[in-house]
Amino acid sequence: MRLLFILGEIGSGLRRNLSMVISVVLVTFVSLTFVGAAGMLQMQINQMKGYWYDKVQVAVFLCNDGSTAVGCASGPATKEQQDNLQAMLESPAVKQYINDFQFESQAEAYKHFKEQFSNSPIVDSVSEDQLPASFRINMKNPEKYQIISETFSSQPGVETVSDQRQVLERIFSWMNGASVAAMGVAAVMIFCAVLLITTTIRLSAFSRRRETGIMRLVGASKTVIQLPFILEGVIAAVVGALLASVTLWLMAHFWLNGDLSRQFLNTPFISSTQVLVIAPVLIALGGGLAGISSLLTLRRYLKV
Amino acid sequence: MIRFENVTKVYEQNARPALDSVSLEINRGEFTFLVGASGSGKSTFLRLILKEDKASSGSVYVAGQNVANISSWRVPKLRRGIGVVFQDFRLLPQKNVFANVAFAMQVIGKSRSIIRETVPEVLKTVGLEGKEKRMPHELSGGEQQRVAIARAVVNRPGILLADEPTGNLDPITSMGIMGVLDKINQNGTTVVMATHDDDIVNEMRRRVVELKNGKVIRDEAKALYTSMIPVVGESRRLKDASGEELNRAQGAQL
Repeated sequence: MRLLFILGEIGSGLRRNLSMVISVVLVTFVSLTFVGAAGMLQMQINQMKGYWYDKVQVAVFLCNDGSTAVGCASGPATKEQQDNLQAMLESPAVKQYINDFQFESQAEAYKHFKEQFSNSPIVDSVSEDQLPASFRINMKNPEKYQIISETFSSQPGVETVSDQRQVLERIFSWMNGASVAAMGVAAVMIFCAVLLITTTIRLSAFSRRRETGIMRLVGASKTVIQLPFILEGVIAAVVGALLASVTLWLMAHFWLNGDLSRQFLNTPFISSTQVLVIAPVLIALGGGLAGISSLLTLRRYLKV
Repeated sequence: MIRFENVTKVYEQNARPALDSVSLEINRGEFTFLVGASGSGKSTFLRLILKEDKASSGSVYVAGQNVANISSWRVPKLRRGIGVVFQDFRLLPQKNVFANVAFAMQVIGKSRSIIRETVPEVLKTVGLEGKEKRMPHELSGGEQQRVAIARAVVNRPGILLADEPTGNLDPITSMGIMGVLDKINQNGTTVVMATHDDDIVNEMRRRVVELKNGKVIRDEAKALYTSMIPVVGESRRLKDASGEELNRAQGAQL
């Protein structure tokens, strides 16, 4: 009976305050979408890190005809220089840092290049001898890149030592920046949402002060008086959180796993099921914030 | 049932206390009128019983319990034992008569079947049988007050507090309301009624407690609205009046 009664009270409260309730739903929806997007970006970064960090290599490029680096003053790398480098890679001093390495000749480099840019006219303007041969090194610990770089970059016949991870780091730091920005927007929006919920509950309490006054006089418990108001805020926020979750799922499903993954074939995107991990967090966050702010408002504006 | 021991209530420091060391006992089943001018402390007296306010000093006992010792989460339990009626009825305009009375039972979690059984009974007691479906605006003032009384007593409280219940009603309707309150009192409920209505007090001949500036200046059984015995605060006025009469009498003699 009491449950039915409380549900009825919630229903009438929601109806009476419809426009305010809708604005609470929308503001929580937008703010939690940003929170979720930030979360998704972090998940995406982790996913890409896990995927790429195993594959990235340190490349020691050898001099070719067109090289202008200081180490290449004597022209293209000779077979002797190449053997020397290989011996260094196999020496215990270096070996402790690397898993393995392969030599990529100019011919192989050209083959890979053609594969990678198969749709681009640039392939026709590049010839085999323009591409450098290289040692591709898989690091045991990618953080130790600096040691390899220092050891090899001053060797004769080496044009440059490049760490593919640095390229990725730039992408990740860009993505990190984006997720921080999303969190910033989310923080502002959440602040708005809390203020809006507070105002809504205040209005709701004011418009029902007759009922609550009578409830108090006939000895209704604090819970029975306050619960409808609190649940009103919580329901609105949870609806907003559900909308945000659905939006994020749609984004992941149709955009990340649709368009984007067709465009970037070898980039691992987070799946739409992974987004479902974020949904409960958003719902708990929305509901929790609404509950707490309603409770605090009622303590000030509803005498019990 | 209700006992005040040296109760003082100060709302604002430096201001005159709303109640000034009031000691009073109202017994179970008694009907007591609380009279006095506006601002004499009648409403404060009622609010202290409900624990809407805290006494600044002294103790208020309701049903043997010092209300100061009732923790905030048990205050609802105290209030379930007290019905309250106001001058302005305070009905819920969008609920019909039945729903208004049932509301008081719903919010304390009474079952639907008990509500269906009890509400018509109570409406019969206050003389509103057959008007369950009416909306408050379709009722006269007297009928609205009867609904309010029904709501106040539907949970069978031991005490009924009435704050100027006839303040908005004409004399004949007021007497009808008094009949209802009397009937409730006959059933064993302690009734405390704050009022300005001298006709009613004089008609009913019940205990009268008169407050003035927060002090009890009269407490008489089966009394009238104005005192029959000169009391401390009133004596000068009465003396003056009689003195004037004396002068007039002397003038007539001359």
